Amino acid sequence: MGMTAVEKVLARASGRARARPGEVLYPVPDFIMIHDGVVMGAKRELDALGIDRLAAPDKVVMVTDHDVIYGSVRAAERGDFNRKAARQWGVQNFFDVGRGGHGHIFPMETGMLLPGMFYFDNDRHATNAGAIGAFGFRVGAEISRVLATGTNWVMVPKSARIRVSGSLKPGVHARDVGFHLATRIANGSLAIDLDYRVLEFVGDIGQFDLAARTALCSSPTEMRAYGVFFPPSDKIIALATARAQRPFTPVYPDADASYEADLVLEVGALEPQIALPGGVERAVDLSQVTGTAVSHAFIGSCGSSMYEDLVTAASILSGRRIHPGVRLFIAPGSERSTKRMIDDGIMKIFIEAGAVLLPAGCGPCNDAVIGPVHSGEASISTAANNNSGRFGARDAKLYLGSPATVAASAIAGKITDPRSLAASQEVLRLAREAA
Amino acid sequence: MSEFDWVLKGRCYRLGDDVPHAGGVIPNRYIIARQFDPAELIPHLFEETDPGFHERCRPGDIIVTGRNFGMGPKMNGYIAMRALGLGLVCESMPFLAYRAAIGEGLRVLTDCPAVTEICGTGDELEVDFRNGLLVNRTRGVSREYPPMPEALMDIVALGGNSGWLRRWWQERQNA
Repeated sequence: MGMTAVEKVLARASGRARARPGEVLYPVPDFIMIHDGVVMGAKRELDALGIDRLAAPDKVVMVTDHDVIYGSVRAAERGDFNRKAARQWGVQNFFDVGRGGHGHIFPMETGMLLPGMFYFDNDRHATNAGAIGAFGFRVGAEISRVLATGTNWVMVPKSARIRVSGSLKPGVHARDVGFHLATRIANGSLAIDLDYRVLEFVGDIGQFDLAARTALCSSPTEMRAYGVFFPPSDKIIALATARAQRPFTPVYPDADASYEADLVLEVGALEPQIALPGGVERAVDLSQVTGTAVSHAFIGSCGSSMYEDLVTAASILSGRRIHPGVRLFIAPGSERSTKRMIDDGIMKIFIEAGAVLLPAGCGPCNDAVIGPVHSGEASISTAANNNSGRFGARDAKLYLGSPATVAASAIAGKITDPRSLAASQEVLRLAREAA
Repeated sequence: MSEFDWVLKGRCYRLGDDVPHAGGVIPNRYIIARQFDPAELIPHLFEETDPGFHERCRPGDIIVTGRNFGMGPKMNGYIAMRALGLGLVCESMPFLAYRAAIGEGLRVLTDCPAVTEICGTGDELEVDFRNGLLVNRTRGVSREYPPMPEALMDIVALGGNSGWLRRWWQERQNA
């Protein structure tokens, strides 16, 4: 019997011919990512054990994305600690404040993360790697063992497969598909358990560019998937080849690979979705909540912060102003996207619309270190999830939508179907050229 | 170190399905406070559902749960369980809860279907975590479940990730 994508990648990284679900392997990663918030814990743990050098400092990538501009004095102290840690450990790939951006976005844009790769990460949204045909595995605080020894145990996960059928209607976005998929899984109409599974997307996925594939990695992760995988298209391979910092070998599942579940997801009739407060799996058609007042809006996060997402939002905001009672935050996924938006005029659209530009990174979608909601408020955003208290007061109502829906809703001051506002064709042309 | 005890003999403490770590295992305030000190955590194990549990349980006792135990990657409750010398046998637990329990050096079996149907609180149990054999002496029944993966036994025997790393580093220094 053949192997799924994750089985192939783990076998290769572990120096094995095969990998089977349930086996414990010690894969050697192509790199090791550690985010700003956990460096201190890992460093202190290793220091206390007397472990003063890392197995492979050249493989370590330290990113500053969760608390980029230091929302507190404590965060500033942590930044200082992280800089010293990078020096002591000899980490060259240190992306300090204002360098790089979101660790689950910019490595795909700069050719650091390439098809077929495997890496360890402390953070669970490393699943984004599947957008480009790679795997990033979350090990949480156990990243310390990876730093010290160069690897850690991985139990090979089971794989499931979703066959996408149909083409999205104009104005419907990959995030809408994600919310819908999560809701179908939660209500049992798609019989699939994603806990520690890798979800492979197949079928009509040619319509999804890298940004859309990234968006589709988000909701399954919230449903506890450990990995998501898109077999890289010719377009993705061409893009990766153009950016690649080193040679790579794409991986595709075998035709006779075995899947725990193999289901079809029809998307042709899908309407824009809104995930109601409390979880990505609480999605309804946008029409059911049209007109709900919002005062906080945010576009960004690991699910919706690629250049194409930002341009989609800008196409709605172009020539318009956001509602006087709304504050709209934009957090690009990378410094690269921020610079690109200056060059092509997208930044001007955001600023003229009255939006606030945040540094590249996670934005409010991390413990509200920046731009939180207050008690009683309603927010609409593209955050990774809308669990109670995700970015501020626990009783605030957090709605999720696509970048286009958030832009349209910020303009109207209430939840609004983006198809009701004409998008700037000139701006959309930029997005097409980018893709 | 002395030989690690892979067989626990003690009383069953049975719980149902979907017990969350926060509240169900240990009050959320200790999770939020990142309290990892066993002495601080022990008095609060199962405090919200069964105050005084830590005074009644004995080393070797085995917590037997239904499906979806622990829910999430939090480890505070497992620290208290290990310090009390308890074992854990679950019908199922989310993978990250399982990984967190291993990482704290807890003797744990998961994927033990219907185990709550053959055990009740107070039953005398014997569980061998090396081969997955559970014997209920009170009821005279036994079952074989998936054992702890051999590759993970080192971590548990050494007291969890920190203990494992400490020995790894010592061996490296001595090599």
